[in-house]
Amino acid sequence: MIVSVAVVGRQNNPLYIQSFTEADDALKLHHIVHCSLDVIDERVNNPKKSGTTLNEAFLGLLYPTLNYKVYGYLTNTKVKFIMVTTDLDVRDTDVRSFFRKFHAAYVDAVSNPFHVPGKKITSRTFAESVSNIVRSYTFN
Amino acid sequence: MEEYPEELRTPPVSLVALFGYSDLHATITKHLHSQQPPINALAFPDLSHLSLLLAHDDPINRTSSSRDPLSVSDSSPSGILKRDWLLKHRTKVPALVAAFFPSHHIFGDPTQWLQVCSDLDSLKSVIRPKNIKLVVIVVQSSPQEEVSEDRLVALRKRAELDSKYVLFFNSTIDSELTLSLSRIASAFAELALAYYREEGRRIKSRIEKRSSTSLDLNVRYCFKVAVYAEFRRDWGEALKFYEDAYHSLHEMIGTSTRLPAIQRLVEIKTIAEQLHFKISTLLLHGGKLIEAVTWFHQHKASYHKVVGSTEFIFLHWDWMSRQFLVFAELLETSSATVQSFSSLNQGTAEISLTEFEFYPAYYYQLAAHYLKDKKSALELLFSMSETAQEIDSSSESITPSVYVGQFAQLLEKGEALTLHSITDEEYTRYTISEAKRFQDSFEIIAWLKKSYESFTNLKARRMAALCAFEVAREYFGLADPSNAKFFFDIAANLYRQEGWATLLWEVLGYLRECSRNLGAFKDFVEFSLEMVALPVTLYDVSGNLGNKTYGPGGPATISGRESIHREVFSLVSHEAELISSTRESGFTLSTDSPLHLEIDLVSPLRPVLLASVAFHEQMIKPGALCSITVSLLSHLPLPVEIDHLEVQFNQSTCNFVVRSSQRPTSASNTVPSASRVENEPSLVLVPNNWLRLTYAIKSEQSGKLECLSVLAKLGPLFTICSRAESPAAMEELPVWKHENCVESLPIKDPVLAVFGQKATQVEEPEPQVDVSLGASGPALVGEDFTMPIVVTSKGHAVLSGELKINLVDVGGGGLFSPREAEPFSLENHHVEICGINGAEGNDESESETGNIKKIQQSFGLVSVPDLKEGESWSCKLEIRWHRPKPVMLFVSLGYLPHGSEANAQKIHIHKSLQIEGKMPLFVSNRFMLPFRRDHLLLNRIKPAPDSEDMSSLPLNEKSVLVVSAKNCTEIALRLVSMSIEFDDEQGETSCSIQQSLGCGDASGSASLAPGEEYKKVFTVIPTMKTPKLGLGSVHLKWTRQGGNTTEACVSTKHKLPEVNVEASPLVMSLKCPPYAILGEPFTYAVRIGNQTQLLQEAKFALADAQSFVLSGSHSNTVSVLPKSEHVLSYKLVPLTCGKQQLPKITLTSVRYSAEFQPSAVASSVFVFPSVPQANSTAR
Repeated sequence: MIVSVAVVGRQNNPLYIQSFTEADDALKLHHIVHCSLDVIDERVNNPKKSGTTLNEAFLGLLYPTLNYKVYGYLTNTKVKFIMVTTDLDVRDTDVRSFFRKFHAAYVDAVSNPFHVPGKKITSRTFAESVSNIVRSYTFN
Repeated sequence: MEEYPEELRTPPVSLVALFGYSDLHATITKHLHSQQPPINALAFPDLSHLSLLLAHDDPINRTSSSRDPLSVSDSSPSGILKRDWLLKHRTKVPALVAAFFPSHHIFGDPTQWLQVCSDLDSLKSVIRPKNIKLVVIVVQSSPQEEVSEDRLVALRKRAELDSKYVLFFNSTIDSELTLSLSRIASAFAELALAYYREEGRRIKSRIEKRSSTSLDLNVRYCFKVAVYAEFRRDWGEALKFYEDAYHSLHEMIGTSTRLPAIQRLVEIKTIAEQLHFKISTLLLHGGKLIEAVTWFHQHKASYHKVVGSTEFIFLHWDWMSRQFLVFAELLETSSATVQSFSSLNQGTAEISLTEFEFYPAYYYQLAAHYLKDKKSALELLFSMSETAQEIDSSSESITPSVYVGQFAQLLEKGEALTLHSITDEEYTRYTISEAKRFQDSFEIIAWLKKSYESFTNLKARRMAALCAFEVAREYFGLADPSNAKFFFDIAANLYRQEGWATLLWEVLGYLRECSRNLGAFKDFVEFSLEMVALPVTLYDVSGNLGNKTYGPGGPATISGRESIHREVFSLVSHEAELISSTRESGFTLSTDSPLHLEIDLVSPLRPVLLASVAFHEQMIKPGALCSITVSLLSHLPLPVEIDHLEVQFNQSTCNFVVRSSQRPTSASNTVPSASRVENEPSLVLVPNNWLRLTYAIKSEQSGKLECLSVLAKLGPLFTICSRAESPAAMEELPVWKHENCVESLPIKDPVLAVFGQKATQVEEPEPQVDVSLGASGPALVGEDFTMPIVVTSKGHAVLSGELKINLVDVGGGGLFSPREAEPFSLENHHVEICGINGAEGNDESESETGNIKKIQQSFGLVSVPDLKEGESWSCKLEIRWHRPKPVMLFVSLGYLPHGSEANAQKIHIHKSLQIEGKMPLFVSNRFMLPFRRDHLLLNRIKPAPDSEDMSSLPLNEKSVLVVSAKNCTEIALRLVSMSIEFDDEQGETSCSIQQSLGCGDASGSASLAPGEEYKKVFTVIPTMKTPKLGLGSVHLKWTRQGGNTTEACVSTKHKLPEVNVEASPLVMSLKCPPYAILGEPFTYAVRIGNQTQLLQEAKFALADAQSFVLSGSHSNTVSVLPKSEHVLSYKLVPLTCGKQQLPKITLTSVRYSAEFQPSAVASSVFVFPSVPQANSTAR
């Protein structure tokens, strides 16, 4: 189950963060999302060391923590998408397609002429479409 | 890791036992230790101690089970692994026994031989059942000792040994000793290996035989095989069997029923932990980092869900935390961690590992996390059951039992101690009492700090911040606010920087509580205000407000902000005393003292009060009114009423105060006296709305006028001072800049909102004094150019005036010539100020004392006497040019219009003028040799390399020098005189120059119109032979021709070029009449004079000329005697009229192989058609 998704801006500032859990652990998920930025930084700055190729936006598994797994996605404009899931066996292709849909939703949201680039995303349509995407993905 | 027994943490080492000859033991033990791999040795002085070997001295063991667990064949053992088995095999059970016998016991006396035999028999009876190997070592006292073959064979037979395991040991000779030692070591190693292999094989066969019967035994056997493999250093097999044991153990989780449920799981997990530790250690030491990490993850995954009793879940968390901690320590200590990660994600496609999983910090952090889970589970347990609270450690004597992971009650029955198995209830009571003894928080803090430091070193700032936050929370839980504050601050800084408002809210909530506990009132208010001004826009969360996951700051909602806002403002405002009595704020003392908050450009409190100040004009006139707009913005959630505002400038006279007219002026609300007060109907800061206030101010003082800060008084004792910011340079608030809210401009005027500045320039008052420069035309090089400067007062009196004069090179090359080295020489300045003459006839300037007059080459400073209105003063500036050059003259006058007030400002007037410097006269010169006398000047024919342009003059001959001076200005000049003067004494002796008389004006005075040229002729007779003769320089004296005759003559020098003087060996002079008449013959003689002491041979050739008929020899060679002349004489008859070229003669000196000709001008003659009559008519 996807428990949290986030959009993080160029300066590592949160643009949109939403958790999908019944339990009130939003703060813990915020911390996890925030920490995962370190992994993205490391992966982007030392692409050789981490052995990943940065030809694609999908960054793969960022790090497993406690009961969660964190996946990342980096757009060309250095906006980061982060997804936290509780599923342990996740296929990369599923995550990839999830991020692609998420990216599309993000592009729709920021294409709104009333949206100021770099500002937080407060669009309700975006929130709805994100929760639809999240609901449609249960990786097991 | 330290809590594991030592035998588990280090790889096992083979063990041997030595009997007899105790004085040799030290040497042998030392040698065995130094072996690779080392061998440990047990030493017994003689065989009588044989009973000590393999003795079961464990009293507990003796009572519960006297059987050797290895030989047990029953299918339900009471435990999986014996606690002391490993230790026993590492320290007690040797792989082999070495018996030392002196050689004379064997080869000597038969009674002694019999003793040896019986000793051997008893030894064999002990070790044979255990398969322990035997080595017999015969100690020789000397190498020459007699050896009886028979006895040796008998010995071998008795000991049932191969001949290679009966060794001789000789310690008397060093070489023999080392040989014996190495023999012993290799035999020991071989036998130990054999022993452990056989043992391993024996147990392995048991596994194969009864694989299905009992998992317990299977685990035990696998473990033992693995340990034996480790003894043999067969790491691969060890790993394989440890893994087998681990997997078999995992199968036991659901199936085993031997023990009560909780203890059963505890035993399994304890053994799994040990097996996992062994496997991880082996993998890491083998450099298999990826495998180790992968293995750890499998281990974690397979046991993560094996929680056991949910009531006592703290046991599970404790266990999990230990797994992470041990693995972190292993990773840290293992050398494998230094390997680079370049080869990481290769071949591990199925399980991808991420960067941070290779850092110990990651595991430390998670270990701390699980320990925290344990702590909270334990707390929950205490809170739920009262019985758990009452448990104290002294209740029962429960100790670890014989088996790993089992516990038993120790009961005393008379003298014997017995172990009784215990129920789960007893066990949990025991574990709870144990858990009470430990302070988990300190360990959590220690691990998190380690993790924090490690992440900081890795530049993983966010991970580090999270660790710092966790550390701080732990300190907070321990009621250590100062330590907690330190770590909270670390986390808060990062969250502030990156604008993670919800995380920051959480941290600030804690920080607020910390400062509350520390009694730091100012900090408390600052943190509260920062929290309140955070961009938290979430409305009330539904329902679960009472959830414990919130920090002390409460949920990050708008209502949360509002309630903190009210709390803070009631604290700082006047009603604080009422509130503090009802609330436990703890600040009753500090509220009496005034609270002053400074907000600068980097303060996190900027959103609380942002002050933007803009002047409407960039330049203002002194004394004139200028509008200034002060805009204030607050992100506080509720409106704030300001008592009064103080706007402060760098010119303190401009400061003013804005007061809210609604607020009554109370005694506490005093305004700084002597400053302007403006009244506003209301001063209320509405959230996210600019409060714009526009006023007019004026400044009398010229210079920069800058608004420094805006001070808002919010209560009798509470002031906030915010640094003023220009709208143009205002940075966005770091936490608010990403918020998607409507942004308004600080000033309505959009131009000012973008370009407004908080500073303006106050102009100087308009000068009412005139400075004029009376320039007249271009300046001429050499003369003292006079520049009259007139200062005229036109309304202002001039007091303590100062005139600054500057000469600046227009071309930019500077007034210095870079070629010339001496910097202070007068000549270095191409243009310089020579002097400044005060106004003549002005009495005031004469009487003025203390006149500043400072003149340098390009800078002058003159004080101007005090002038009343309408008066004027003038002076003359003299500038001299040394080179033609345009310069810029800057003149600036600074004066005070009024009396000598202390703060009066000078008014400045600037004037500038470009002046061209020009060369007045162009001087040139020309040499002429005597008419129709040609000298053979060798230098002219073969010029020296460095004298290309140099003229050559013959020695002791009269040459003519023509000097001409051309006026190249646009004005008429008067040349007063022209003369040639030698530069030095030598010139006068080596040469004589005379002014030829009778040409031009005798006085030399002449007027030169622009472009006109003046020539003067001099005769030069060189009297010394020198290659470089200085002829001195031409001195010209001139003035401008015009009205001012009083001006002194300007003297200009022109240096004449140096000439080459040489004696000519041959002189050729032509003789011919001044003119010829057509058809009448005349004589043309060529004299060749030899001026040397040598005979000169000269070839000559005469070319025919068209206009003459010639008689005489055309070419010949003649010899000229020393100091004599040879005359070639020709008769010529002219055939044509006019100026005719005489036949050209070419002379070649054979001695010098030089050829020369007379010049074309000299060898021509004018032919008249008939005898000219001019003379007779004139007469």
